[in-house]
Amino acid sequence: MKTLIIIKEKDYAWLRPIFTGIHPLLVPICNKPFIEFLIDFAILAGSDALRILSDGPLSDVEEYCDNGSRWGIAISYGSIKSSDETLLIMEKNHRYCAGERVLLMNGFVFIEYDKQHNYTALFAELPDGEILGCNKGSLSLRGTPGERPKVAGALPLSLVELDSLEVYYRLSMEILSFGESPYVIPGYSNEAYCHIGRNVVISKSAEIRKPVIIGNNVQIMADSIIGPLAVIGSNVIIDKASTVTDSIVLEKTYIGEQLEVQNRIAAGNILIEPESGISIAMDDPHLLTGIKKSGSAEILFQSVVHRLFALFLITVLLIPFLLLSPILKFQRKWKKSTGSYYINDAGKTLALTTTSINRQSLPGSIAAALSLDRFGLLFNVLSGQLAIIGSTPIAAKTDNSVPLLEMGSWYKAGVFSYAEAEEWPANGDERAIVERYFAVHGNPLLDIAMTIKAFFNLIHEIHTP
Amino acid sequence: MIFHVDASTGKTLGIVDLSGRLDAANSSELLKSFAVWQQQANMFVFNCTRLDMIDSSGLGAIVACLRKALEKNGELKLAALNQKVSMVFELTKAKKLFSIFPDTGSAIQSF
Repeated sequence: MKTLIIIKEKDYAWLRPIFTGIHPLLVPICNKPFIEFLIDFAILAGSDALRILSDGPLSDVEEYCDNGSRWGIAISYGSIKSSDETLLIMEKNHRYCAGERVLLMNGFVFIEYDKQHNYTALFAELPDGEILGCNKGSLSLRGTPGERPKVAGALPLSLVELDSLEVYYRLSMEILSFGESPYVIPGYSNEAYCHIGRNVVISKSAEIRKPVIIGNNVQIMADSIIGPLAVIGSNVIIDKASTVTDSIVLEKTYIGEQLEVQNRIAAGNILIEPESGISIAMDDPHLLTGIKKSGSAEILFQSVVHRLFALFLITVLLIPFLLLSPILKFQRKWKKSTGSYYINDAGKTLALTTTSINRQSLPGSIAAALSLDRFGLLFNVLSGQLAIIGSTPIAAKTDNSVPLLEMGSWYKAGVFSYAEAEEWPANGDERAIVERYFAVHGNPLLDIAMTIKAFFNLIHEIHTP
Repeated sequence: MIFHVDASTGKTLGIVDLSGRLDAANSSELLKSFAVWQQQANMFVFNCTRLDMIDSSGLGAIVACLRKALEKNGELKLAALNQKVSMVFELTKAKKLFSIFPDTGSAIQSF
């Protein structure tokens, strides 16, 4: 069997203002792009090939789904006119459909199904014609003529017209409330009502109340309460003491401190009341904001600022370095070692020479207080290999496997770390929280302030017994 | 922001009409003005009918006004929040701090 998905722009125009830049077929429902639910169903129905037809652009969908090999189904794409009727579309695709039964998914509708059910057998028994229909679309079978027995009883299927944010919200909440989901939901699920993605950092004092679905690269900070009934998208930060219940937080959203998100959809800096559709765009980054990667101009400016500040530190520390390092080397209290470290999120490695100073003498104590052990690393900042402040460098694995769980998209190794500036415990997860927060919310001037703070914290650390 | 005194209920109430945006640009002005208005009244209604938008600074200023009013055994009630402003109050849990009325008349009558 083959499947045709027919989708027209007019059916999903309502989605555009909220999901700007996302093709409606890629809009996440419980962190899973809508098209994947359709693909899953086509496979369950026994399809081995699927064609997506639209009167709008499909390049993003094509890029995401490619040829379908990921799902083991052959996916192709085609264009239609807005005015094309279903019969005409079938005619235009008759070569594709020739000799096969065709499952037609028409319109912007969600098919409620159960992954445990044998739809292949069911559809083999169903006669040609419409299986299900609603105002916004239909599900039908077309194909080789012939008498087929009618299946008695209600079908284990239904359609949901995706025509408003309220429906989108209700549907997500409904999917969330299944203990054993009838759909394949992304993320690990060791227990019912709970799906958690990769690289999720949850503070010890945060509370997760099922049912919840949490995406990848999510950071939930201290005293936050997530759920019940919360869908947290990927690359989301929920700041301290905030509560998210009965809500959907879409990807790349920052929820500020001590906020209460209840019965809402948060998308970047937009907060939506699903029932009324009223939305507000927050101008206030302390409340709600989108998380963006810095643009190339910002990255360049940041790099220049980091280099200038490294140059400044080299100038200031040069004389103490020249005076103290020979003494400490002579006393064998200055030990160097070289190791390979990851320097960015792409897993690029660099051989870094790190220094350890024995602080049991006055010169050692002064050298450590002045962070002279980092002096050599400052030259790596000048060459752009390290940031002046960033993440604590992670030692490269000998088998070249990049520790993805530790390195998010924000990772950039620094001479000093944000965790040192904030005097954060050395624990990996806790450190990752603060480093990620500043990497996402930082700016070049804040970086300088944080570097100075880290520098003075290290002095204080030396003098604290 | 416009201030006037209402004595229709027999009590001296300070009515503050907020309009436009209340954000970092004008929240300090509200705080300064409130200190002056407190010399004329200690019970207030903030009429938000024409308040289009509020951010965390504006919210902080209103909460600070409430605190100042309570310090002098006064009261501060809010009226006619539009849905967007109301959503900010809900989001920040500030709604729990205030008595909020659908219109200025009912807020005045509540004293």
